[in-house]
Amino acid sequence: MTDAILEAHVTEGALLATRRRTLVSLRRGDRAFFWATRLSAYAVLLILGGIILSLLSGAWPAMKVYGFEFLVTQRWAPNAMPEPILGGLGPIYGTLVSSLIAMAIAVPVGLGIAVFLTEICPPRLRQPIATAVELLAGIPSIIYGMWGFFYLGPFLAEYFQPAVIGLFANVPVLNEIFKGPSSNLSLFNASLVLAIMILPFVTSVARDVFMTVPPVLKEAAYGIGCTTWEVVRNVVIPYTRVGVIGGVMLALGRALGETMAVTFVIGNSFRISQSIFAPSTTISAAIASEFAESSDLHQSALILLGFLLFVLTFCVLALARLMLMRLEKRAGK
Amino acid sequence: MSDRAIFAARRRANALAMALSVAATAFGLVWLFLILSTLVVSGLSGMSLSVFTEMTPPPNVQGGGLLNAIVGSLVMTAIGVGIGAPIGILAGTYMAEYGRHEKLTTVTRFVNDILLSAPSIIIGLFVYGAVVVPMGRFSAIAGALALAAIVIPVVVRTTENMLLLVPNQLREAAAALGMPRANIVLTVCWRAARAGVLTGLLLAIARVSGETAPLLFTALSNQFWSLDITSAMANLPVTINNFINNPDPNWKRLAWAGALVITAAVLGLNIVARALAARSKSR
Amino acid sequence: MSLVMHENPAAHAHGRRVKIDVRNVDFYYGDNRALKSITLPLFANSVTAFIGPSGCGKSTLLRVLNRMYDLYPGQRATGEALLDGRNILDPAVDVNFLRSRVGMVFQKPTPFPMSIYENIAFGIRLYEKLPRSELDARVEEALRGAALWEEVKDKLDASGQSLSGGQQQRLCIARTVAIRPEVILFDEPCSALDPISTAKVEELIEELQEDFTIAIVTHNMQQAARVSDTTAFMYLGELVEFGETQRMFAAPENKRTQDYITGRFG
Repeated sequence: MTDAILEAHVTEGALLATRRRTLVSLRRGDRAFFWATRLSAYAVLLILGGIILSLLSGAWPAMKVYGFEFLVTQRWAPNAMPEPILGGLGPIYGTLVSSLIAMAIAVPVGLGIAVFLTEICPPRLRQPIATAVELLAGIPSIIYGMWGFFYLGPFLAEYFQPAVIGLFANVPVLNEIFKGPSSNLSLFNASLVLAIMILPFVTSVARDVFMTVPPVLKEAAYGIGCTTWEVVRNVVIPYTRVGVIGGVMLALGRALGETMAVTFVIGNSFRISQSIFAPSTTISAAIASEFAESSDLHQSALILLGFLLFVLTFCVLALARLMLMRLEKRAGK
Repeated sequence: MSDRAIFAARRRANALAMALSVAATAFGLVWLFLILSTLVVSGLSGMSLSVFTEMTPPPNVQGGGLLNAIVGSLVMTAIGVGIGAPIGILAGTYMAEYGRHEKLTTVTRFVNDILLSAPSIIIGLFVYGAVVVPMGRFSAIAGALALAAIVIPVVVRTTENMLLLVPNQLREAAAALGMPRANIVLTVCWRAARAGVLTGLLLAIARVSGETAPLLFTALSNQFWSLDITSAMANLPVTINNFINNPDPNWKRLAWAGALVITAAVLGLNIVARALAARSKSR
Repeated sequence: MSLVMHENPAAHAHGRRVKIDVRNVDFYYGDNRALKSITLPLFANSVTAFIGPSGCGKSTLLRVLNRMYDLYPGQRATGEALLDGRNILDPAVDVNFLRSRVGMVFQKPTPFPMSIYENIAFGIRLYEKLPRSELDARVEEALRGAALWEEVKDKLDASGQSLSGGQQQRLCIARTVAIRPEVILFDEPCSALDPISTAKVEELIEELQEDFTIAIVTHNMQQAARVSDTTAFMYLGELVEFGETQRMFAAPENKRTQDYITGRFG
């Protein structure tokens, strides 16, 4: 033991001394790097704070003038005298309905593709098909808009819409929803374009969560003689329900805020029509087409619409995240 | 019902469900094919060398190209990624390396996920209020900042995920040499996560290259050649948007050519990023 | 406790210098006490082996000696561990400096994602600014020291991860040796290696004790018997028996040590 105590008084060698100095000199950089990363993490929070603040302050004048009425007024007359009359009901309605129709199309199709990819696709084709579907998500949204405007819209107005209108002409209620005249620009066209755009999101999330099903569960079901469909319905879907719903909400968040594709094909009409084949508008389409030429109260009302859209997507996305987190937690256990 | 009938019914249900899932896949792939084929046909018919060498023409004038718009897009994307990528990488690094168990990380991850899917037009409104209004005019820098706000969440997400995949043993091994934490992160962790982070960066670039909505009222557009980042600058997406909505056939032709250029660039980046990710995974 | 007390570790210090003196060290993972009042010396220029069943705390003790546990919140150690008379558990100690003096080789080979040359040069460069020729010499010296030079001298630019498992582990040893520590901690260095690679690493450890103080955690009784001068047997966070390896394997004093060494449990 005395040896050790004696050692304490031995001076460090030259090597150790320089090494200690080097480490001390590195300390400042170490702290600086730590703070650079930490401040960047704060910057992410700051962006969200900035968005909320900037939208709120921009929307304030319109909030003051229109108040709650804004949510239930359909009339949108920015040039009315003496003061513009602005109500957000039209775009709010259009945003919600177009997204819901898009979900109604994309969710079953997306789940179908996910089932195909995970359960029946030959392994060799799995990756190419998955990649192809995901490439749909890579195409810029303005391309969807142009294509929808020049090709899909005329096609639907010429063939699809008249057929559906004719089919339901004598069915009460439905004949109001699918009412003519057919139109190149319509709520339904926007919904279909949206559905195609969010298809890859639904597919990839569904595929990812389907893969979290432990193979033993599926094997056990196949072992007692279940068909593929029965395994999907009774094992895969129940096991992944929360994750699938989370993925669907994520896609809904996308659909609600999608701008360019919708702007091209929806027709920018603030009037609410019962028919889904009539032109309509969404919040983002209204902002995209009017914001650059707007001023004063008109502009403030558009920002207010943007704020409402943000709140809406925030809630949907937050809910989606919470659901996916719950699934991750369970998978982690 | 007899056993045999039940069995037949189950088999029919299965066959129907499987047929529907194949049909769903076909449905998805048909759109991809239709969109890409019309884009290629319309784009190629408007394509010529002058698209890349000449400025955008005034309306109802023949010829011209998209040079200023292409350059403007490159400039704004470069600035946007130049600002967004470092912030995103550093923030992701904090979450994975320093604050893994902190509340700040949980909150940041949540907020980041929201930003990741926030409508891009909202980002445009934000930058309009925060930059364009105080500056008093539309500018390329405002457009670039809007793009940066879109790049950041993508990069944060991939950086964090990739760093979380770096085994702790590697950190311990570097720490066992006496390395300060910053050196460990910079030389060992970043290097190990390099391929994944690069993939994320490419995907972020792909994402912003096609963004139109956030540029509509930040960078606006400009018919002329300009490299002044404090004033409005031409860019490909907004130029396409303006040209396609005009009856002038020459503008329409250029818009389709531009659309093909953008899509080729974006899908090309996507494919490169995927190949990179697949290669690093197989290694 | 009495198990430890009846044998005074210091008795073995006779004639040998103590490099690290561990005194009453307790260790906690959160509220879980993983080490219970450990007291033992590590002698300079000799090999001390730590044996015991999984979860007995032997690896934990090793991670106390270079404060590796500092990387994780919720882990803490109390007591004293004196390295040349200075308490390394003192919060004021510069842990990076400590780790530069007390190196560690891990269970799984952990080459850095860079070339073989860089794997070695990387640590040296941190502490010393050397001209290229000297750096080359130091890298060669370290690789020779780890008996790896002949195998890699023609492919120094190849990735460290392209080597075989045994070569990777020797690369990690070379990397540790290159920065000239005083103590090297081996945490089950051969558990992921084949018998031939294991023999090479063991041989290396024999050679390294001329220049370094060595502690090795191992599951392998024969390995402990082969490479170490002193052995510590731990069980459930306590030090059960500590003594000269030869004596301990020939005539263990404690019943549990005997049971473990003869393979009756663990």
